[in-house]
Amino acid sequence: MTENTYSVSGMACGHCAGFVTEELERIPGVATVAVDVENGMVTVTSDSDLDIADVRAAVEEAGYELTTTPSP
Amino acid sequence: MSPLNDTDPKQFIADFFTSFTEELLHSDEDPALIVDRYHTPDIVQIADGNRMDRDKLIAHTRPVRKNRPTSRMEVHEALANGDQLAARYTWYVQNRKRDLALEVCFFGQFAPDGRMRRAHMLTRALPTDAAPRQPPPATTDRQETSA
Repeated sequence: MTENTYSVSGMACGHCAGFVTEELERIPGVATVAVDVENGMVTVTSDSDLDIADVRAAVEEAGYELTTTPSP
Repeated sequence: MSPLNDTDPKQFIADFFTSFTEELLHSDEDPALIVDRYHTPDIVQIADGNRMDRDKLIAHTRPVRKNRPTSRMEVHEALANGDQLAARYTWYVQNRKRDLALEVCFFGQFAPDGRMRRAHMLTRALPTDAAPRQPPPATTDRQETSA
């Protein structure tokens, strides 16, 4: 399993977290998504390394913005 | 002098959120300017325990604009005392991906010029069948915003 943490801006509440989680979980290989709304952080565990473009596209699809590259 | 003195609190809170949302969705103006028209610089909103200051509030306008929702706010009850207002309302939101109905219990404080200074909001999602795609006829306690 691989775990990466991303910075996402624009999230304000649990509903925002739900929207971001829903889109990230659509990426093949994603096992779990944990959102820290207060600090604007999203931790994703997956079967293998994710393409940052896929993560960015999923976050954008939810309406939010990926603001940093992943930190393991 | 409080802006709440001369206004029905249900109408005040409905007008506040409806107008703010309309300005965000119907213009390409810098969202910071819109946020500042409706909130004092030291605004703090706490939604379900998550704290939002001015910067986070501005950042949160991005998904609102991106998703371009159509929304309708129904204020069920509201009480004002001085510069404070408490209300329970439901936001019915439709965007390109989903229908939502969010019930909100709101406790807020407003500056004399009507801008929001503080707000605590407790929210819960209602079953989606509580969000009819066709809004009922407008009444004095309902406000609509269309993108």
